[in-house]
Amino acid sequence: MPATALPGPTAAPRGRSLRPLLLTLATLLLVILVGLPLLAILLYALFPHINEWSLAAPFGALLPNLLDPQLITASLNSVALALGVTLLSTCIALPLAFRRAQMATRPGRLWDALLLVPFLIPPYIGALSWMQLLQTRGFSEQLLGFNLAGFLYSFPGIVTVMALHLFPMIYFAAARAFAVIGNRYADVGRVFGGSPLQIFARIHLPMVLPTLLSSGLIVFILSIEEFGTPEILGNRFGFRVIVTAIHEKFSDWPIDLPGASVLSMILILLAFIAFLLHQRLARRFSSALENQSLNAPPRARTPLQQLFDLLLFGSAVTLAVLLPLLTITLSALLDTLSGGLQPSNMSLRHIGGLFELDSPAWAAISTSLTLALLAALGSVLIAILVAFTLVRLRTRGSAVLDFLSILPNAIPGMAVAVGLILTWNQAFWPLSPYNSPAILLVAYICLTLPYPIRMLTAALKQLPRSLDDAAYICGAGELRVILRILVPLLAPVALAAGFIVFAIASRELVSSLMLAPPGVETVATYVFHQFDQGSINAGMAMSLVTILVSGSIIVLGQRLPGGQVR
Amino acid sequence: MKTFAAALTVGLALTTSAFAADPLVVYSAGPASLSSALANAFEAETGTPVELFQSTAGKIMARYQAEKSNPHADVMISASWGHALTLDEAGELLPYRSPNASSVPDALKSDHYVAQGAAALAIAWNPNAGLPAPQHWADLTHPAYKGQITMPDPAKSGSALTLVQGLVAQDEDNAWSLFEQLAANDLLVPGANKAALNPVLQGARGVVFGAVDYIVIGARAKGESIEVVYPDEGTVLAPRPIMILKSTRHAQAAKAFVDFMLSEKGQQLVAERYILPARTDIEAKRPGWKELSIIDFDARQAAAQAAATKARFAAVTAR
Repeated sequence: MPATALPGPTAAPRGRSLRPLLLTLATLLLVILVGLPLLAILLYALFPHINEWSLAAPFGALLPNLLDPQLITASLNSVALALGVTLLSTCIALPLAFRRAQMATRPGRLWDALLLVPFLIPPYIGALSWMQLLQTRGFSEQLLGFNLAGFLYSFPGIVTVMALHLFPMIYFAAARAFAVIGNRYADVGRVFGGSPLQIFARIHLPMVLPTLLSSGLIVFILSIEEFGTPEILGNRFGFRVIVTAIHEKFSDWPIDLPGASVLSMILILLAFIAFLLHQRLARRFSSALENQSLNAPPRARTPLQQLFDLLLFGSAVTLAVLLPLLTITLSALLDTLSGGLQPSNMSLRHIGGLFELDSPAWAAISTSLTLALLAALGSVLIAILVAFTLVRLRTRGSAVLDFLSILPNAIPGMAVAVGLILTWNQAFWPLSPYNSPAILLVAYICLTLPYPIRMLTAALKQLPRSLDDAAYICGAGELRVILRILVPLLAPVALAAGFIVFAIASRELVSSLMLAPPGVETVATYVFHQFDQGSINAGMAMSLVTILVSGSIIVLGQRLPGGQVR
Repeated sequence: MKTFAAALTVGLALTTSAFAADPLVVYSAGPASLSSALANAFEAETGTPVELFQSTAGKIMARYQAEKSNPHADVMISASWGHALTLDEAGELLPYRSPNASSVPDALKSDHYVAQGAAALAIAWNPNAGLPAPQHWADLTHPAYKGQITMPDPAKSGSALTLVQGLVAQDEDNAWSLFEQLAANDLLVPGANKAALNPVLQGARGVVFGAVDYIVIGARAKGESIEVVYPDEGTVLAPRPIMILKSTRHAQAAKAFVDFMLSEKGQQLVAERYILPARTDIEAKRPGWKELSIIDFDARQAAAQAAATKARFAAVTAR
C-alpha cells in the first residue's frame, strides 16, 4: 500500500529533527487548553478583583476561606472518599480485566460495550436513580418490599455508588494491559508448576501495576472532583466534601468566585500530592516489556471458566449498568412522581414529549452529539501528540506536561468554566471561542483530555521502543514513526479513549450550564432545566434517549476498522 | 469586536445567532419556558431580537461576575432578591423606573430594579403520606411529622434564606426555637428547592417546610399528588428581580424590555406559570395578593446579616 500523503523515506528528514517542533506543539496546546484557564483560576484566588482587570485587595480572599473551620473536615472527607472509591474500583475492575484478556474477541467486545455505559450516565442521574431505587418507598420497596436507604445514605453507600460508576476507567486500561502482556509469561510460569494464583500475583499483577497506578490516579482525582453524588447522597447524612463547599459558593447569594478559586487550589494541591505519590510508585514498579508478543492468541476457555466469566461479568453489568438503566427507564415511563410504580401511572407522555415537533430536545441532542464527536476527535489527536512527547521524547519539562495533563480532572467543572471565561472573554484576543458553541468544545476537550492522555501514555509505555528504533534506522522521521507505526498499534486504545471522551462530553453538565452561549442548549442543560423547574420524569426520559443514541453511536464506532486491530 | 465576532460566528459550523440586528442580551434564571416566552413575545412586539442565556440564579450571577472585564449582559432576571440588593449596593445597576410599575407594591421596586413577579413560600405536603393536614409552621414540630419533613437549604436557595430571615425578623427567639424543634423532629435539609420537594413527591418524606409555591402548584397541575398550605401567621415572598446593568450598550432596548415585562401582556405570561405577578392589578392564577399574609421585614437589613443567619441555621439543624 503506497503511503499517500506521507513523505517517502528519502524525502523524510533524517534523524529526529521534528523533535523540538513536536515538543513545542504539545506544550503549546496543553498551555492554551489547560494552562491558561488554570492560571486564571490561580490569579483569581490571589487577586479577587482580577475579573475587572484590577489587582486590588491582593490575597484578600485567601485567609477568610482557608480559616473556615469546616474546611479540614471537608478535606479529610474528600481524601477518604477518593481513596475508598479508588480501592473499591480497583477491586471490581481487576478480576474483570484479567478475565477479559482470556476471552475471544466477540464476547469480549460485547462486555466492553456494556461496560462503557456507566460513562454515558451522568453522575447526578446515576445518584438520583440509585436514590429512586433504594430509598424509603423507592422502587425496590414498591416491588420487592425492602429499602436500602440506611446503606445508601452512608459513607460505604456513596463509595459503592461512585465506584460502580468509575471502575470501568480502571477496567479498560487494565484489560488492555493484560492483553499486551499476553500469555507467554504465564505459560512459562505454568510450565514451571506455578498455581494460577501464584501466576496472577507474581507475574500478571506486577506487570499491570503501572497501568493500575495510572488509571487509579485518574479515578482518585475524579472522585475528589465529583460533585453530583456527594451533593445528592452526602447531603443526606451531613457528609461534606470540598467540591460541595465550592459549589455552595457558586450557588446562591452572595456568589463568591474568588473563594471558590481558593478552594479549587486545595483540590489542585491534593491532586498534586496524589500525582507525586503516583510518580514515585510508578518509578518503583515500572515494568519494561521488551520483546513482547503483540498478538498472543487467547487460550480457549473451559466451560467452567466460561460460566465463571458469565457470572462475574453478569453481576458487574447488572449492578453498574442494568439497575441504573432500568430505574431511569421506569422513571421515564412514570406519568407522575407521586403516583409510584402503578400500571395506571405508566405513560409515554414524557418520552413522546421529546419527539414533538417544536421540542427543543432534538436540537439539544444534535448539539451535544456534534460537540462530543468533535471533542473526541480533538482530544484523542492532541493526546497522541502529548503521549508521544511524554513517553518517547522524555525531555526535561515532561513532568510538568504530565501534571498539567491530569489537572483538569482535579478541578470542579464550574471552576474550569470560570477559568475559561476569564481567559477567553477578553477584548484583546484577535480570535476567541467565547460566546459561540466553540467554547463548549474547548471546555470539553480541556475536561476530557486527561483520559486519552493517561490511556495512551500507559499503552505507549508498553510498546517496545525497539519498534521505533527499527523505523529510525530504516530512515523514517518522527512523523512517519508516529503515523505508520505507533498510531496503528495504538488505534484500539485511541478508539476506546475516544469513546470515553465522546460519552463524557455528550452529557457534561456543570461547565455547559455556565458556558453555553445564549440560545444554545445541550442535553445536560436540557435535563437539568427539567429537574430544576419541570419534571424529573421528563428529565429521565431525555437521559434515556441520549444514553440510547450515544450508546448506538459507540456500538457502530466499534465496528470501525481501527477497532479490529489487536 | 462586532465584525470580528460576526466573522467568527460564520466561521464556526455551529452558529447561534445573527449579529445583524443588534440583539438585547438577557440572562435569566428559570423557569425556562417563561423566559423564552417573554423573549419571543418581546421580539414579536418590538422587532428587537433577544439573546437569552438561561441557567440558575447562581450561575447567571457567576457568569456575569466572571465576564466583568468584558460584559455582555444587558438585562438580568434573577430568582433571588439578594442578587439585586448586592448589585445595587455595588452601583452596577442602571437606574430606571418603568411607567408600567405604578401598580407594583413599593416593597417590590426601587429606582434600580423591580420585581417581575414573586413566589410565596409555603408548606407543601403529600396527601398520600397519611399525615394530618398541616396548617401552621409550628404544626410540623408535632411528633406526627417526625422523620417526614424536608426543607430547602438556605445556603443553596435564596428563597429558603428569605423565609428564615422573615421568620427571624417576625420573632427572633420563637423562630430559632422553631428550627431547633424541627431539627429534633428529624428535619432533612437535602439541598436546593427541588432536592427538598422530590423526596416528598416520591413518598420518601411527607412535607416540605418552605417550598417555592409556583413549582408545587405547577407539579399539582400536572397531576402530582401535593397540596400547598400558606400559614396564616405569615409567610414571605421571594420576588424575582429584573435589573438593567450599567454596562449595557442597549439601554433603550433594555428599558423597553422591562416595560414589556411589566405590561399587561408580559404579566399574563408570568401569571401563566403560577408565579404571583408583580402588578397587583393583574389576576393571579393562584392565591393572589389579597389571600396571602406576608411578613413585612427589612430585606436590606436582613441581607447585611445573611452570613450569620445561614451559619446559625446550619449550626441549629446540623446532625
